[in-house]
Amino acid sequence: MSSRGGKQKKGNVTSEQEEEEQPLQAVLVADSFNRRFFPISKDQPRALLPLGNVAMIDYTLEFLTSTGVQETFVFCCWMSNKIKDHLLKSKWCRPTSPNVVHIITSDLYRSLGDVLRDVDAKNLVRNDFILVYGDVVSNIDVSQALQEHRHRRKVDKNISVMTMVFKESSPGHKSRCEEDDVIVAMDSKSKRFSMGTDEFEIRHDLLDCHISICSPQVAELFTDNFDYQTRNDFVRGILVNEEILGNQIHLYVTQDGYGARVSNLQMYDSVSSDMVRRWVYPLTPEANFTDQQGQGCTHSRHNVYRGAEVSLGHGSQMEENVLIGRDTSIGANCHISNSVIGNNCTIGDNVVLDRAHMWNNVHISSNVEIHQSVVCDGAVVKEAVHLNKQCVLAYNVVIGPNLSLPDGTVVSMHHPEEEEEDDDDEFLSDDQEVGHSKDKTRQKAFNPAEVGPEGKGYIWKASMNDTEDEELAQCLWGLVLNPDPESDSESEASEESQDRTFQLEVLGTLQRGLEENIVCDNLVLEINSLKYAYNITLKEVMQILTRVVLEYPFQQQGTQLTTLQYTGSLLPLLKTWSPVFKNYIKRAQDHLDCLSAVEELFLEQDTHQTAMVKVLMKMYQLEILEEEAILKWFSTGATNDKSRQLRKNQGKQRMSLQRKESEEDESSEEGE
Amino acid sequence: MELQAVLMAAGGGSRMMDLTYNTRKPLLPVGNKPLIWYPLNLLERVGFEEVIVITTKEVQKMISTDPKMKLDVKMKLDIVCIQEDADMGTADALRHIQQKIKTDILVVSCDLITDAALHEVVDLFRAHNATLSMLMSKAHEFTETVPGQKGKKKTGEQRDFVGVDGTGKRLLFMANEADLDKGLVIRKSIMRKLPRMHIKTGLVDAHLYCLKKSVVDFLADNKSVSSIRGELVPYLVRKQFSKSMTSPNVNDEADQKLKKKDGNANLEIQILSRDEVLLQLTRERSCWNDHRGDMSEAYHGVRLRCYVHIMDEGMCYRVNTLAAYIEANRLAPKLFDEPAVHPSAAISVRCLIGADSIIGASCQISDKASIKRSMIGASTTVREKVKVTNSIIMHGVTIEEGCNIQGSVICSNTVIGRGADIKYCLVGSAQRIEPEAERTNEVIVGTDQLMEI
Repeated sequence: MSSRGGKQKKGNVTSEQEEEEQPLQAVLVADSFNRRFFPISKDQPRALLPLGNVAMIDYTLEFLTSTGVQETFVFCCWMSNKIKDHLLKSKWCRPTSPNVVHIITSDLYRSLGDVLRDVDAKNLVRNDFILVYGDVVSNIDVSQALQEHRHRRKVDKNISVMTMVFKESSPGHKSRCEEDDVIVAMDSKSKRFSMGTDEFEIRHDLLDCHISICSPQVAELFTDNFDYQTRNDFVRGILVNEEILGNQIHLYVTQDGYGARVSNLQMYDSVSSDMVRRWVYPLTPEANFTDQQGQGCTHSRHNVYRGAEVSLGHGSQMEENVLIGRDTSIGANCHISNSVIGNNCTIGDNVVLDRAHMWNNVHISSNVEIHQSVVCDGAVVKEAVHLNKQCVLAYNVVIGPNLSLPDGTVVSMHHPEEEEEDDDDEFLSDDQEVGHSKDKTRQKAFNPAEVGPEGKGYIWKASMNDTEDEELAQCLWGLVLNPDPESDSESEASEESQDRTFQLEVLGTLQRGLEENIVCDNLVLEINSLKYAYNITLKEVMQILTRVVLEYPFQQQGTQLTTLQYTGSLLPLLKTWSPVFKNYIKRAQDHLDCLSAVEELFLEQDTHQTAMVKVLMKMYQLEILEEEAILKWFSTGATNDKSRQLRKNQGKQRMSLQRKESEEDESSEEGE
Repeated sequence: MELQAVLMAAGGGSRMMDLTYNTRKPLLPVGNKPLIWYPLNLLERVGFEEVIVITTKEVQKMISTDPKMKLDVKMKLDIVCIQEDADMGTADALRHIQQKIKTDILVVSCDLITDAALHEVVDLFRAHNATLSMLMSKAHEFTETVPGQKGKKKTGEQRDFVGVDGTGKRLLFMANEADLDKGLVIRKSIMRKLPRMHIKTGLVDAHLYCLKKSVVDFLADNKSVSSIRGELVPYLVRKQFSKSMTSPNVNDEADQKLKKKDGNANLEIQILSRDEVLLQLTRERSCWNDHRGDMSEAYHGVRLRCYVHIMDEGMCYRVNTLAAYIEANRLAPKLFDEPAVHPSAAISVRCLIGADSIIGASCQISDKASIKRSMIGASTTVREKVKVTNSIIMHGVTIEEGCNIQGSVICSNTVIGRGADIKYCLVGSAQRIEPEAERTNEVIVGTDQLMEI
């Protein structure tokens, strides 16, 4: 990392005094570099989408200004001209603005990383700066976080490179973004991202506001690591290399501020309703902080806001949390709740709006019902249309009449296929694209079954490609993640499987031993090492070994063996492996354990029970099992009916066999 | 009787074999009292009248016969002996005495020396109707040099990760470093319920547990669990958030019975006690909640709850290593206010005994002896011009003239020859150190005591 030396130099050149005096700078990235708002953002960049009838970038700029930023660099890429026009008209570019806004546009930015590398190349920032997206809505006063950040940097000699701002919000809070479900490990005392110190905290109740206070090194680090694309890459890189490079990331947690990034429509919905419910005070709809003429509105109880020249028909109700823009007229007997209606809209009679977000110049005819949907500029909804949840009508779409759109329908004037074709040059300048796309649109007719007899627009399918990334990109409303099923018996299962793998390993070992004619001593050695690897007790080893050997014929020749075949193939095996057995079966208890393993196996394989006598006989002859042990096993009480049966069946034969065999031994009678 | 106390005193002290070869761990002298006295005293101070002591025959015999081991406690001791060679774990021991257990229990280990306020642990147990509540403390650095240990301290045992909730009381997670081969895995379902989790390391488990009676019954059904700390506690902690315990229809006893029939029942702990239904009702009717942030019921309907009290200050030692033993000896005298010098000790006027030393009964200390920061056991003879600093001398030791003993542990009945110079040594019991010997940093034990390899 060659640039570290450079950093230090820069830090020394600017003396502390100068640092204090230098204006606070901010980098505002007015591009999301993703396509979560497609197809809406095809016509308008995300930063200019209205939220509470004000473009989102205005909230971000207001937040920056109120927190004391004096110089802001706005980086635009997609539809940069529109953003530029908007900003030039706004109060931010008036000479009186306390916050000087520089607009930097380039079509080459493809990620946050590119922007920050450009910041470094152009040498724009001289000091700590605030990095923020153009779709962040916040009223957090970051000056305290800034102070903490500066203090840390002074104390620790530029070790801390970034302070991220988080808001406390418990899981399940509706302004939590499902996709941004962060779990943070932090050092509670130093507020550092960390693991592995003596004590740390794991928090799942934090919401990433996407506001970060960066040291100038951040831009340099992005240059050094040209593979960093997003802030997540950066954070991960810093944390992984923390021990090598010594850079740290801290966090600042606010309890009462509001901060959220509108990263998908779900978030748009929640932030917008928070806005109307005044959680972002002092950024409220009636404050008219953008200082535009005619934007003002009045605030009355139940959070009902009315702009200028709003007309409301007879019998219409605005229940609560409603914002209506200027020059909008609403017909009779409407029922409106939790909705935002833009400027110059007309709404017919008997309309029901709930959680609807209508932008400017929207025309809604009578008898329409809209639930939790977004209707963009210039859209027309004809008579008796029913929009179910999470529908999106993009710019200038016409729907209806007499139609009901199912949940999650997205209608746009752009044809989805045209979108696919243009996939590659999506970041190219827009006029070109719009130019030639128009020709294509003409060629394709609208489907009246989808958008109604008088409708204009194409239905966008929620998921056109199978790959997960694409699905995410198309899913405007964000993911609905199913909570992971809570697994219960994790540990029990793993223990079981340990035995099982051990058994398989033993089987493998024996098999190989047979194929390659390995000496039994080596087999023992191998099994012993397996024993340690899987942490198996000696008793279990012996039982598993017995089981493996007895099952070996089945393993090799299938389960359809007759008893005769079975014994025929098993007995020679027992002979070859008898040294292995002898190694494990020494004490009296071992004999009994081995016998119980044999018993268990033959209880399972009840068709082959008669083979048991022969097996025991063989084992006795090979001096694997002792006579007393067998007799003792036989005489000890059987644990269940089946085993009693087993013993009974074979008892007589075996006893007689045994006696015959053991006549040369002296004392079988006694053992009985 | 709300709680029955159970004292586990059957452990052999396997982590300090040199010390415990001749004296069983419960009987090791700490501040001239057997180690077992400390937990008994702790229980007595908080008002227990009866304790079940689980120990071995040998220890029981020593307690009842040897005057040096006399425990001056007024509580009724119900001593249960278990076989030493049975290799029983603490949970096995609990299972062994299941018949005696009528209520919830407080389990204490015999090697605990603490001035913790026990009521804190019990209050947690009561307040949250917990299944388990336990005591932990910040780990102490042992400052004293450990005799016979060359070089720096070994890296020690693997760390334990303990996860508690935002209040620092609820025990959510427990794992040993050894088990974490794939990093720290915490289930998201826990995080969703209790979004703030403090993970702490550097804590010592005091091995003091309050357990519900149902846990003992559970042990009786589950023969495979053999140790409380190793198996039972982690199991309980894990079980808090497993699904079967959080089934919404808590009152559905029929459901419970069904489960029993399934044969899985012995894997489940039946927490439902008699008044549980009433408690449940109270909880539903009350506006009290143990968490904030979401709207679900108190404890998220979890019926098995584990709590931990973590001591911020005060002392808490588990005397299970040599280092801890030495540290405990240094600090133990502060725990009780008895005269440092036993009245029956015969002490010459012309010797020097530091205020931080303890002299046991019937000791003989001769002229010009100097004893600083040390403990001298009963019936020990210290001759002229002996210097003892920073050492632990057990019972019946004879130290001949002119010896210099520093930072050492001398076990019972050892004779140290004239003029010997012993620094940072551990001398086993009944040893004989030849005169003028110079020993530094050694472990001196009899040949029979050497480890078999």
